[in-house]
Amino acid sequence: MMKLPVKTTQPTVEIANAEVITLCNGMKLYILSSDDFEVMRLTLLFRAGSSRQRVPFSASATANLLAEGSQHMTAREISERLDFHGSYFDVNTDRDYSYISFAMLSKFVPQTLQVAEEILLRPTFPEEEVETYRLKRKQRLAIERQKVDVRAREAFASAMFGANHPYGQCFEEEAYDRLTRQDVVDFYHSHYTATNGFAVCSGRVDEKERTAICTLLEQFPVCEELSHKPFPTVEQQYEVRLTHEGAVQSSIRIGRRLFPREHPDFVGMQVVAAALGGYFGSRLMHNLREEHGYTYGVISAMVNFEREGYLAIATQVGSEVTDEALKEIYHEIERLRTEPMDDEELQLVKNIMTGEMMRILDGPFGVADVTIENILCGRTNSIIAENVARIRQTTPQEVQQLAEKYLRREDLITVVVG
Amino acid sequence: MIPYKKRILKNGLTVVVNRDHTSKLSAVNLLYKVGARNEDPNRTGFAHLFEHLMFRGTRDVPFFDLPVQMASGEDNAFTNNDYTNFYLTLPVDNLETALWLESDRMQGLWITPEKLETEKRVVIEEFRQRYLNQPYGDQTMLLRELAYTTHPYRWATIGRSTDHIEGATLEEVEHFYRTFYRPSNAVLALSADRDEEALLDLAEQWFGHLNDTPICHQSIPQEPRQEQARLKIVERDVPATTISIAYHMGDRLSKDFCTGDLVSDLLSGGDSSRLYQHLVKEQRLFASVNAYISGDVDPGLFILTGQLLPTTSEEQAIEAFEREIEALKHEQPSAYELEKVKNKFEANTLFGELNVMNKAMNLCYYEFLGDLALVNREIDEYRSIDADRIFEFADRIFRTENSSTLIYRAR
Repeated sequence: MMKLPVKTTQPTVEIANAEVITLCNGMKLYILSSDDFEVMRLTLLFRAGSSRQRVPFSASATANLLAEGSQHMTAREISERLDFHGSYFDVNTDRDYSYISFAMLSKFVPQTLQVAEEILLRPTFPEEEVETYRLKRKQRLAIERQKVDVRAREAFASAMFGANHPYGQCFEEEAYDRLTRQDVVDFYHSHYTATNGFAVCSGRVDEKERTAICTLLEQFPVCEELSHKPFPTVEQQYEVRLTHEGAVQSSIRIGRRLFPREHPDFVGMQVVAAALGGYFGSRLMHNLREEHGYTYGVISAMVNFEREGYLAIATQVGSEVTDEALKEIYHEIERLRTEPMDDEELQLVKNIMTGEMMRILDGPFGVADVTIENILCGRTNSIIAENVARIRQTTPQEVQQLAEKYLRREDLITVVVG
Repeated sequence: MIPYKKRILKNGLTVVVNRDHTSKLSAVNLLYKVGARNEDPNRTGFAHLFEHLMFRGTRDVPFFDLPVQMASGEDNAFTNNDYTNFYLTLPVDNLETALWLESDRMQGLWITPEKLETEKRVVIEEFRQRYLNQPYGDQTMLLRELAYTTHPYRWATIGRSTDHIEGATLEEVEHFYRTFYRPSNAVLALSADRDEEALLDLAEQWFGHLNDTPICHQSIPQEPRQEQARLKIVERDVPATTISIAYHMGDRLSKDFCTGDLVSDLLSGGDSSRLYQHLVKEQRLFASVNAYISGDVDPGLFILTGQLLPTTSEEQAIEAFEREIEALKHEQPSAYELEKVKNKFEANTLFGELNVMNKAMNLCYYEFLGDLALVNREIDEYRSIDADRIFEFADRIFRTENSSTLIYRAR
């Protein structure tokens, strides 16, 4: 490697632990206060992701319809009040959780929280709003499924866990026709409770903000702990090829089921995934893009759910070079298994991973996002420094051993759509 | 509010710096005043292809990303119709790594025929992935071609066809590099927790020695006034029809910019906006609607676009847009509604200034526009807009003969 004309240093990466308040209904509020900003964000999480639903699309519909009318405000009034104060309301659902966020200027905290209270605690899910939502979403999903990438993502989930597994399931667009208002109301009442969620607040959080947030959260009802429905047995399919009419590119997903974040090898496998396709210049990026020009981009990463985790490689390549690209991906995986990585490359990967963590932590909202991830793993923010230390200790031998153990060709799932 | 200091080096490079007191990261942004509008009509997509080549190494640094990543940094770039922007963030102690690398590739780029060939293939795959292999992927391209007859804004940054990229030569690469990549055609901005004078000195130290040889380049053909309404209909295999209407408006530094932006927010800024409330929720004509301005440096476009629900006819959709446009011409927005969109603009500005990268990027952009102070003054410009200005804008811009309508029909 060339000698750098300037010195580079290894940064320290750590953030303070959140202050935790347990409210009278048992709900926890995590506070990350910083006076450097004139903004605040409040995020609530509920165990209300799609793996919890009995009726297709009811989990995402519940989250997306929260702001479409409440006991004291119409959908229109809610959006007017939020927009007037320049506040952002955002919802997201994944397989395990729903995330409800409010971002606001410090000077408009009381006004925004007033609307938040209506959205979170008193939604009415009006029939006509449910109807509009069904129509829009059905059309949107149909459009999404015209993309090779979306189809590959869905096929990959179902190849990895099985078509009837909550982590692998995908539903027909027509399932929207059968979704009723009552499904949404039921899901809301059973899942949006103090027992089933927590909140994280960051930015400027002074005494009066703190009091207002606590007052809001304390109104969530207590309910019985929801029972964990046991998941069905995982059923895997190792090779899936789907055709997509008119496609000029193929979408490729390769990966394998591994373990959730608590597993002792999770961080080690993050290093392996990063070396393979976690950065610009990674082995796959170098091979597929820089050397062969097969693709605009390729990534690999460890993905984690609450009860599962897997490694995934994703790319879109020219249709005419699909087989060549597959061959090169397998080749790069095999190379990790058979040759130890040189120290310099591993050092590079480690520095990239630490830098990435610093960037995510830049700004008050990023700090909150990382804190949420840590809470979901049952850890405090001191895990960050531990993980960084763990990454820095990784040796080339360890990377090879992990790849050898976990990335055998016969264990890999391959999905191609194009 | 972004406080800053500025210095112009002897070779013409403009440097703007900001001291950030909270971040452990530093940001380096380098903007070159060249975009797709500077391209030869027979070699479109070139500015963007060239941006890719800037990562292909110099004689001293064969892999640009490697030292960045070794310093725990991250870098990327984008090209639009007006300019090409390179940006990096890295731990503040490693700031100089970025300055060294940017200085090195401003004059030391080393492109071989092999590198050019591979990069062309990568860009062609990008073209396919983003524009050809996506439902509605070519929609904005078609709208540009319809709205512009003369100005290079008639093509997208990616280019008019993959053939243009395929045909690029090494001579063209070298000529383009000499013409546009030099200190006096660039703006550098830094944001970090360091003394501002010290940051300016660092920039001087790493960039001061570079030579600058101005080379004149072709002036940009400007768009003639549109005299007649235009309509284009295409049929595609997509699930829903979309309709877009584009109107010509003023340039980035004219009064039209803020007014147009504010009007677009009245129409579609947030769920309480007019188009969403009237056309999506009340009348259930569209699945989604949007109004936005292209925001280009030269005179740009005001665009309305919507995706129809299966039960809506094309005539109904166009009439619905026209009703909203007529309302802008004849009914005064309430003080409340004006206050709402202005508050929203202010909030967006504040949310956008939370990290070092955005700040450095903004400083470069406003300096490139030729009015650096506007970075902190624009909010007042918005605040000063009144109902009369909106009437004047709507009357002048939303005329049928100034419109281009694209119907992207589901087959």
